[in-house]
Amino acid sequence: MNSHQGRLAVLLVGLVALATLPFWAHDPYQVHLATLIGAYWILVAGLNLVVGYTGLLSIGHVGLLAIGSYAFAILVDHHGANPYVAMLAAGAIGGVCGFILGLPSLRLPGFYFAMATMAFSMIVSEFLLAQDSLTGGGAGIAVPGFNKPFDTPNGLFWLVMLIAAFVTWLTWNVSRLMWGRAMIALRDSDVAAAAVGVPVFSIKLIVYTFSGVTAAVAGALFGSLQSYVTPETFHFELGLFFFICIVIGGRGAIIGPLLGTIVLTALPEVVAPLAKLGQFFYGALLLLVVLLVPEGIGNLVKIVREKIRPRRLEKHVVAPDLARLAAAIGNRSAS
Amino acid sequence: MTSNPTSPAPRATLAASPSAIGASAAHRPARETTRRGELVATGLTRRFGSVVAVDSVSLTLKAGEIHGLIGPNGSGKTTFLNLLTGYYKVDEGRIVVDADDLTAAPVQRRPHFGIARTFQKPRLLGSLTVLDNAMLGGWEHAQSGFLETALALPRARREDRQQRELAAELLHGVGLGNILTRRANLLDHAEQRFLEIARGLTMRPSFILLDEPAGGLTEHEIEQLARIVVQLRECGVGVLIVEHHTDFVFRICDRVTTLNLGKMIKHGTPDEVRNDPEVIRVYLGA
Repeated sequence: MNSHQGRLAVLLVGLVALATLPFWAHDPYQVHLATLIGAYWILVAGLNLVVGYTGLLSIGHVGLLAIGSYAFAILVDHHGANPYVAMLAAGAIGGVCGFILGLPSLRLPGFYFAMATMAFSMIVSEFLLAQDSLTGGGAGIAVPGFNKPFDTPNGLFWLVMLIAAFVTWLTWNVSRLMWGRAMIALRDSDVAAAAVGVPVFSIKLIVYTFSGVTAAVAGALFGSLQSYVTPETFHFELGLFFFICIVIGGRGAIIGPLLGTIVLTALPEVVAPLAKLGQFFYGALLLLVVLLVPEGIGNLVKIVREKIRPRRLEKHVVAPDLARLAAAIGNRSAS
Repeated sequence: MTSNPTSPAPRATLAASPSAIGASAAHRPARETTRRGELVATGLTRRFGSVVAVDSVSLTLKAGEIHGLIGPNGSGKTTFLNLLTGYYKVDEGRIVVDADDLTAAPVQRRPHFGIARTFQKPRLLGSLTVLDNAMLGGWEHAQSGFLETALALPRARREDRQQRELAAELLHGVGLGNILTRRANLLDHAEQRFLEIARGLTMRPSFILLDEPAGGLTEHEIEQLARIVVQLRECGVGVLIVEHHTDFVFRICDRVTTLNLGKMIKHGTPDEVRNDPEVIRVYLGA
């Protein structure tokens, strides 16, 4: 109970510190960076259910991010929609796209599924270039901001943090209740999953659709933050980046990928020499993590603790309590 | 329900169970599931290329009975079990539970007909705790959809709590109550086997199919397994045991079916099967 309260306290302090960031940040760029991390996290949180929990290798979520940004911009600019309504509509469109992409491709085994999602992100990119009357083609499109009260950079920061907190809460619920166990079963042993009646395909499709919604909502916020996007903004490496955030953070938890997103987004910005290294930095970090801590940096504390103080497993003799067993089963005879 | 006079009845457990049911009625599952009477396989045939792995085998598993399936290696026991659970398609024959035909039902639909199973090589989720592994069996009875779960609406939380309580009780029942929070990849072999049984029971099945449950267990652990299986019978669950430990099978089973080269060669009470010349010739030895 104590460690539970401790964790809750840390969480609260962290949330308060984060919420007041615009008041103690040294320059607006830090708020911008935090907003970017938040927008990325909204996508990664949904993607984490797909990659970290269900074990699907989706590397093309940047396509869904692009769809969110463009849908938002087009709805607000061309159709005069309210930005908040447009963001929700973008989320719905992202969900539909995720569903349509998942319907044929989720039947493919791991590697081929990854290829399908990669192809999808490239198709989206080409589509954005080709349809220039709608999307502005290679020149790109201006993405509008939000209305009051979230119309300032600080306002956008708070909006992103609110949505990020909400999405994190949603994914936490999914992961801790029945669905989380079913998803991990699909990842670790589809034979066991099927044996207990987990509907393999529909679970994958529903989770993938949800990740499409969060990716597109993230796209609307990301676009609004950048204020101008082109098809170049959504290069394939960005999709890989989201995937790597989860792998480096660690599968099967929420805190790991969150740390992964923060570290991978902030480090190159904070440590200037790393920015020059660009892709090399990501590659080197991925290699280090996969080789040294394959469980992910989210589990670093746990791993170190077990190294220092390994838990001793006492051999115990299995002693069934038949009365309790009978009570739990109840009488199942068809009488 | 057929009761077999030749199988030794465990007096102690018989006496213990009624009072226990009264004592902890609070732990009874809240939602009762459909109780099934019998699982009937008729003339099941499965070919792999030109090899007939299972050749027109029929078997009836009644709720509240222990049925043994024995035979030499390669006689088609596990293939037969995989036909019952849907991992292999049936080439000929029918599988029926009461009035429902499930011959063509996919694997993941079989639990709906009250069928649970364990595996020869335990299939557990190593990164999850013992309790979470057992709770996975509760999926069949969880009604909450994705959005309901994501928003943690009351039904999703209530179902999760009920599954947790049921799984914990069953784990205590099979003797794993003291390691509920241990990660499954740290379990020894016997613990894995008993956990698989607990997971199967969380499905609240009418029938449970055990694939070589005694494999790799010590004498003491086999004894505990026997006590659990006999208790399942008392609770009205039908148990099918695919097994090589013939002593174990003959001791606890009500009926035994023997396969050889995919064909059924003898079916009957343990004594009838044990003394059948054909069974002795191909399997038991003189």
